[in-house]
Amino acid sequence: MADGASGSAERSVQVKLVLLGEAAVGKSSVVLRFVSNEFQANKEPTIGAAFLTQKCRLEDRVLRYEIWDTAGQERFHSLAPMYYRNAQAAVVVYDVTKASSLEKAKTWVKELQRQANPNIVIALAGNKVDLVQPSSSSPASPSPEGEEEADDATATPGEGAAAEPESLRQVPREEAEAYAQEAGLLFFETSAKTGEGIVEIFTEIAKKIPIEQILASSRGAGRAGAAGGRTSGQEGAVNLEENASKGRDACNC
Amino acid sequence: MSTISTHLRNFKEPTKEQLTQLFFALPPERIYAQGEKGAQEQPEKMEISASLILEGEESWPGKLHLLPPYLAFIAADRKSARFAIPLSTIRRVERLNARAGVYALSLSLWHGLKIIVQLTSLRPTADLFCALLRDSLKIDLQRGRMKAVKGFVKTCYSEVLLASAENDEKDGGVSKADESASHTAESMYLGGLGLKFKFPGDPKKLREASKTKLWTSYLRTHGRNLTLLRYGQCTRLVQVGLPNRLRGEMWETLSGSMYLRFENPGFYEKILKDNEGRTNTSTEEIEKDLHRSLPEYSAFQNDEGIAALRRVLQAYSFKNPETGYCQAMNILAAAILIYMSEEQAFWLLEVICDRLLPGYYSPSMHGTLLDQRVFESLVHRCLPIIHDHFQQVDVQLSVASLPWFLSLFINSMPMVFAFRIIDCFFCMGPKVLFQVGLAILKINGERLLQVQDDGGFIQLMRQYFSELGDSAHPHSSDPRARAITRFQELLLVSFREFAVITDETILSERRKYRSEILTSIESFAKRSAIRNLKTLGRFTKEQAGLVYDALFKAICVVPPPQVALPPPALLTTKDGQEERPETRIGLKTFRVFMSEICTWARDEKIVRNGFQQRVDREVAEHELINRLFSFWDTSYRGALSLQDLVSGLDGVMFNDLMENIEWFFNLHDKNKDGYLTKDDVLTLSESLLFIFRFELGDAYLGAVSRFMSNAFEYGDALLPRPEGASEDDEPPQIESNQPYMNLATFRMVVLADEILESFFETDFCSTFRLEPVPLELPSSNSGLLGGIWQNITSDDNRKIFNNFTDQIGRTIGKHQVYHRPAIGKYTSLEEPKARESLLTPTMRRPPSKSSLTATESSASVSTPTASTPTSSQVGVESPSTSVSTEFSPMPSMLQAAAQAAVYMERTPFAIDDAKDEEEDTEDESLTEDDGVMDEVDAFLEEHDSGLTEAERELAKDLMHAEPVH
Repeated sequence: MADGASGSAERSVQVKLVLLGEAAVGKSSVVLRFVSNEFQANKEPTIGAAFLTQKCRLEDRVLRYEIWDTAGQERFHSLAPMYYRNAQAAVVVYDVTKASSLEKAKTWVKELQRQANPNIVIALAGNKVDLVQPSSSSPASPSPEGEEEADDATATPGEGAAAEPESLRQVPREEAEAYAQEAGLLFFETSAKTGEGIVEIFTEIAKKIPIEQILASSRGAGRAGAAGGRTSGQEGAVNLEENASKGRDACNC
Repeated sequence: MSTISTHLRNFKEPTKEQLTQLFFALPPERIYAQGEKGAQEQPEKMEISASLILEGEESWPGKLHLLPPYLAFIAADRKSARFAIPLSTIRRVERLNARAGVYALSLSLWHGLKIIVQLTSLRPTADLFCALLRDSLKIDLQRGRMKAVKGFVKTCYSEVLLASAENDEKDGGVSKADESASHTAESMYLGGLGLKFKFPGDPKKLREASKTKLWTSYLRTHGRNLTLLRYGQCTRLVQVGLPNRLRGEMWETLSGSMYLRFENPGFYEKILKDNEGRTNTSTEEIEKDLHRSLPEYSAFQNDEGIAALRRVLQAYSFKNPETGYCQAMNILAAAILIYMSEEQAFWLLEVICDRLLPGYYSPSMHGTLLDQRVFESLVHRCLPIIHDHFQQVDVQLSVASLPWFLSLFINSMPMVFAFRIIDCFFCMGPKVLFQVGLAILKINGERLLQVQDDGGFIQLMRQYFSELGDSAHPHSSDPRARAITRFQELLLVSFREFAVITDETILSERRKYRSEILTSIESFAKRSAIRNLKTLGRFTKEQAGLVYDALFKAICVVPPPQVALPPPALLTTKDGQEERPETRIGLKTFRVFMSEICTWARDEKIVRNGFQQRVDREVAEHELINRLFSFWDTSYRGALSLQDLVSGLDGVMFNDLMENIEWFFNLHDKNKDGYLTKDDVLTLSESLLFIFRFELGDAYLGAVSRFMSNAFEYGDALLPRPEGASEDDEPPQIESNQPYMNLATFRMVVLADEILESFFETDFCSTFRLEPVPLELPSSNSGLLGGIWQNITSDDNRKIFNNFTDQIGRTIGKHQVYHRPAIGKYTSLEEPKARESLLTPTMRRPPSKSSLTATESSASVSTPTASTPTSSQVGVESPSTSVSTEFSPMPSMLQAAAQAAVYMERTPFAIDDAKDEEEDTEDESLTEDDGVMDEVDAFLEEHDSGLTEAERELAKDLMHAEPVH
């Protein structure tokens, strides 16, 4: 757990990230895919929120994601502020095969934009795209058996249906993308099952987060003046053109 | 899109009786259905001072409670001795022949154990107690409970355990394997999945054998299952951990869930059967979690365990639909299913959710939030340094402690240890969770002070829990100290250092923070409800908040009916347009809501009785409000959501003159074809009369009268004529339900009247008022004084007090009642003035004789018009006849305006009597005729005495400023 941080802690940046979304859209699976190196086959049931960490390298920086994977059940909603307070990033997950889950995602986004840290970076992730892609993706799934099972547990019943996968889709990519753009969110379609798009989320978030600011504020609240001044220039220097595959390599450190 | 729940406000502090029942873990009293055996006889309760004496033990002074069908005892110190046994297990009660002055009873239980209680109260009290005990026993016997005992105890492992122990002694020792084989064959005791899938932990390490032995001897001498007597030793045995096979049954016994199972045989199977195949939100949510409930335990990796878990959770959700299913219950249920059968687990879950952890799993999770708050306050009190540090670095206790409480540590620490805490939890109650929680923090105190954020806190706790099995003092030279595990240390600290945390502490802390939690839950709900509105219209967030408050109050007063969800097939269409649950209110609640927002939707009486002045507010009922309800129900659901209300109010509150007129027109255009029918015009007039019902004076009444006659005059005039018909011809006949008047005409008619114009311009909008809604919190009656004050200020008592003062007020002639008007433009209108206003307009205009005579009659007829809604029929009748009056020439706009000016000055009552009004008024109306005026005066003088009666009536109802006689 302490992951030998004592030495590198100076350079690694801690990023608090919260996962939100309707029940059974696959929040836990998304995290699980991302953090799989640390993951044991039996996943922890989410009571309130599960807490996981993952380190991630972006260029010369080491990010340490502290991930709060919240419970999706509606009645846990009122507990969510406890987890998203002070969060620098949020991933709001919906299920591309369930239109209502996007509605819920929108209410989460609204809530975050009004109640959470004003600089929070929000990513919208449409999960379970493997269910709506032509059959090729399923057999190509590189994930080991155990993880697939975990994914099944929260999959929609229609999953087994082989015919016309595209018909399962209830949220057109364009619609969600347009919404994300309008609301100023990062947008991804992902599959926790195949791993598609998962690392990209965390990479893009890492790029967008004002790392220097976090560093400055964590070093000492009041003395951030000079460091803060430099921040904006540095922030702009983050290479946004960097492609996703490089990002994937960069992670999993 | 959200639900609004007011049920938290229904919370009532438990009564003393309920607390006693709670303490003994007895099920709530059973309500016998009519005709059921024993429906008539409700045995009495009683408590009496007594001492419990058991052979070879000390005697314990305490209280004996007769709580039919149970007999319960608690030692004076509330911990050293207690029991609660069903009366049906008592086979014999004897009064002991002892020394004089000693009144002792010997109770023989079904298995032969004798309990001796010495009644230490005065003789007559003791006699009474005995008599009641006898009656209760009789009733219990009649209900057939005695017979049920035999069958029930067969399901208990303790009986098997004792029987086999006896056999062992007799036979000198049968081999262990034979023994267990013979048991499974002959006995039907209930057990959990552990019997088949092994119990967690190493039996040797857990020292199962010696624990079982200790319990066997305890149970033999102190009763078991239904009849367990709990002495200090019992608690100590529980603290070292229950043996696996006995664990399930002891949980049942200690938590009291066994009484529920005993009282409700077959209930579990029945509820599953009755609801077979049913699906709802809860069952769907259960399905999602079945595979992630203790997946590390082998039984939950196969169908048998999963199916059992599914049935238990479903049965609970069927029995408690309002709680349904909450994540974390799956973990609890899975855990207890290792040690108990489905039926046992079902009842234990019931006790946990209902009694031990009240409100933890409810939709608002208020119990969880409350106990987290209580925990925080206890940390503040007991571990101030840690608390301060957490405050300083902004770490929230709940991020770690919430799962501790919600899943009884099962999710946090290795199962073997969690189960030991659960043993104590069932034995000693919810305070255990707080004690253990505090001990965890205390033990980790040093390291906690290094924690800088939530994540670090969680990591530290995780680390600690993973090392619970390690030695607490690994470097000690004393091997015995080395043998003490961290877990043992934890329990030691919990029960030794935090013994100060008692049940009473928890109860009083909960009382203290309940309203704080309630407020925060409600304001959170309010914020998200407003945030989730699709549109606020022109309202600000604060104004929308006031609408929400009014709605919330209305729901408190008249809860909306539980909406029966349509069958799932309809609900989950293929497009996945699944409905989110949303609170929608019916007409009744809507009326209350409107009465909060809108001045004419309530009847406000200002009562003065010499002692106090108060405002009695009642909800008004009128067709107008019903009409508004359906007008705003744009999606035709027969119920309104917060969004509907906000949009509806938005559609009226920001209107200017023209928009208001149009709005009012549309409201009354029933079929939305752009035309009012004659009937619509009449209803519209009624609506106006309703709005004006409490206005002082008769100006508004007059305006409505003028409106009606104008409406029908123009309406007729504007009717399309058959071709070739001359303008002087009779207007075509038209049915009362045919399109009659369009918006333009309506607008013209309204604008023809100054009063109506100003009403639609400003007054109407200002009858809608978004004001803070006073809503009292259900105060937590802290302390005796608080309780008394609560009693005094309860609604009922206030009513009684008000009635009382009213009575006195009446006798001393100081009782006055005013109706507060909806608009209240004319505030001071005294009686002479009222008469004056009746006459002044007439002076300018020569009314015909007929209309004058009408004045007299109208005075009495129109009186009730303003007072009660029903009386507005008067208004209906008169214009409907006026329809037939002929205003044939179609006036030009100019003419119309001129005419309107004239009508404005007419005495209001003349219109009411439109039926008597003849064509001649038309000609005379433009000429001055003082002669007629003199006649009027003469008439009035002549009939003065005759009029006063009517006048007084009128004044009373119109002005409501007169004392009631």
